[in-house]
Amino acid sequence: MSSLVQTQEEKFLHRRFSDYYSKSAVSLRGLEKREFGFGGWEKKIEFRHLSFKNELELRARLVSEAPLYISHSVAYYEFPDARPMPRKNWLGSDLIFDLDTDGSACGHACGKFTCQKCLDDVKSDVVKLIEEFLLPDFGFSKSELAVNFSGSRGYHVHVVSDAVYDLDREARREIADYVSGTGLPFERLFWNEGKKFLGPKPSQGGFGGKFARAFLAKLSGEAFALSIARKLKKPEEKEKLKSAIANGNWDNIGITNREKKLSEKFEEMKLTMAGRIDANVTADVSKLIRMPDSIHGGSGFAAKRLATPDAIAGFEPMRHAPIFGSEPLKVKATEAVPALSIRDFSFGPFGAGEVRELPEECAIYLICKKAAVLE
Amino acid sequence: MADLLFCSHYPFSSAAKAYVSEQGMEIVSSYIGKAEERVREAIVSGKIRKVPAMSEAQEEELALYAIARMIVSCANNRYLINRYAVAEAKKTSDYLSSDASAHAEYVDAVAAEFGIRFEKSGAHFLVPLGKYLAYTPRSTDYKLANREVALGKVKVSSHERARMLEEAVKKKIERELPIRAAFPDEVKAAGARVLALLPKLETAVMKLGQENYPPCVRRMIEELSLFVNLPHTARVALGIYLVKAGLPTDKIVEVFRGAPDFSEKTTRYQVDYLRTKGYNMPSCATMDSYGVCVAECRCGTPLNYRANIHGRALKRLEEAKQ
Repeated sequence: MSSLVQTQEEKFLHRRFSDYYSKSAVSLRGLEKREFGFGGWEKKIEFRHLSFKNELELRARLVSEAPLYISHSVAYYEFPDARPMPRKNWLGSDLIFDLDTDGSACGHACGKFTCQKCLDDVKSDVVKLIEEFLLPDFGFSKSELAVNFSGSRGYHVHVVSDAVYDLDREARREIADYVSGTGLPFERLFWNEGKKFLGPKPSQGGFGGKFARAFLAKLSGEAFALSIARKLKKPEEKEKLKSAIANGNWDNIGITNREKKLSEKFEEMKLTMAGRIDANVTADVSKLIRMPDSIHGGSGFAAKRLATPDAIAGFEPMRHAPIFGSEPLKVKATEAVPALSIRDFSFGPFGAGEVRELPEECAIYLICKKAAVLE
Repeated sequence: MADLLFCSHYPFSSAAKAYVSEQGMEIVSSYIGKAEERVREAIVSGKIRKVPAMSEAQEEELALYAIARMIVSCANNRYLINRYAVAEAKKTSDYLSSDASAHAEYVDAVAAEFGIRFEKSGAHFLVPLGKYLAYTPRSTDYKLANREVALGKVKVSSHERARMLEEAVKKKIERELPIRAAFPDEVKAAGARVLALLPKLETAVMKLGQENYPPCVRRMIEELSLFVNLPHTARVALGIYLVKAGLPTDKIVEVFRGAPDFSEKTTRYQVDYLRTKGYNMPSCATMDSYGVCVAECRCGTPLNYRANIHGRALKRLEEAKQ
């Protein structure tokens, strides 16, 4: 697509991707109002400002061009192919949360071959985002949420709701900051009133309530309680403090250095309470995002659209996202390949230069990762 | 029957619009003069006078409101429109606070104009998240992360409720104006006269030597000179930066002159306050969370930008020598 000279691998992927699109239907809410972007071997978005009248037209283009990456705007426009951007006439946007593994779950050992640990880690982040923010705090219903595997290292959560449709960039930034606990100083939640030290109640909404609830739960632990005050060793003192906190009074037992101690706990716990999202994606009203059920050119996996948000519990990317079946295909590794398992097939490790005959979806995965070439 | 008191307090409302179209309205010269005075006052002092509680004055108010919009449309200048919108919104806010006890239903009716329903909850109100975000100023006080949020509703005080409605009125007027239509010559002439009131702005901004300012600061200054209403957090950040950059208060005040709700006295007080408090410059990450970071300078804080740029230029120079 992009360069005039295509490698053998590019040609091969285009052919196989085209086969896939010729057999699979695509669907997208408000398709005719979206801007599309196609990407290739070098860049995930090489062409943008594309638009299609309907699913048939889009699919015909996908079959003929079979781009390695297909993205659509989170926005709906009156004229999606107009440029520059203001001419598109923005109507509204879905609200998007982009969650990617940062590789910390396995200590950054997996690199470009994202490991199971990291995939599980980001999956639990998605569940947390939904269960602790989107449903209870923002009040979205499950039917307003669509969860898609990104096709590679994470998930996208799309909120399709009138309540957020026309929010501008700044308003979306507020939502992102809320989820990630940005701009939430301790002093906003706690204050001195005479000798009393008052703060959030566990029953209240927002981050304050979250902190109070988490703090009470942790207080049951011995080590945590002792790090607040020695006297919390006594169960009756602990109960006394707990029932005071339930009413927003954070110190009825005379904690020495209470502000410093509590603010340290707050900063520490804020990190675990916050959701790990890419705030810039949420704030960007004209972001182009992977089209659900399209192929991710960096893995050869489908960016699977989950039937319901709850389906994420049973979703295993390495099992449910591969699409190219098990016809044997010979490839030669161009770099070291670790032990991997795709669907039910385990392969690797093997070194650069080694030739293997693999099920096609495994071979395509390595080619897309630029870790192997056709043999 | 239409409630004339309500219509005169809230002339932007659909009830007021309906009243006017039912009664019919003539554009008479004396009204044009008064409407021009209304716009002039709004631009110069940022205020619009309240209406005497007599039905004649109330009907006149509806006419003046409509003609004032035409005059502002003829002047067709973003700063003027925004500043006029701020004054109309302030007047609304005054009425909302005086009506809150005597005509509580008025407040609900104004909220309904914007599709907002405030649900009473003890001494507070609950407002849907989307409306909260659309109609609160972007400042630390209203930062969502600091608020009580549950089941898609945000808790606000009655003062905050009035503030939201003020913001809604301001946005509505900013959005609706200018009206594109053919207006009588007298109205056009009034538009030209109020346009001539605009302060001369360009000079102060250009003299700052801002080529070495970081892109975020340059953009904020540029937006102010284009009469864009910068969020509160951005203004504070800009103020801190300019104080740290060594600008005297007079010059900083001039930079803010483009803000549609500009008041020299308040700005001077606030800049001096920033100066005496010696606030730290927000980091790039914080600037980003305010939505004002424009580039990936990776300089940590906008204050490092000059040093970084100069450092880099120096390095290039040395490399060129070798």
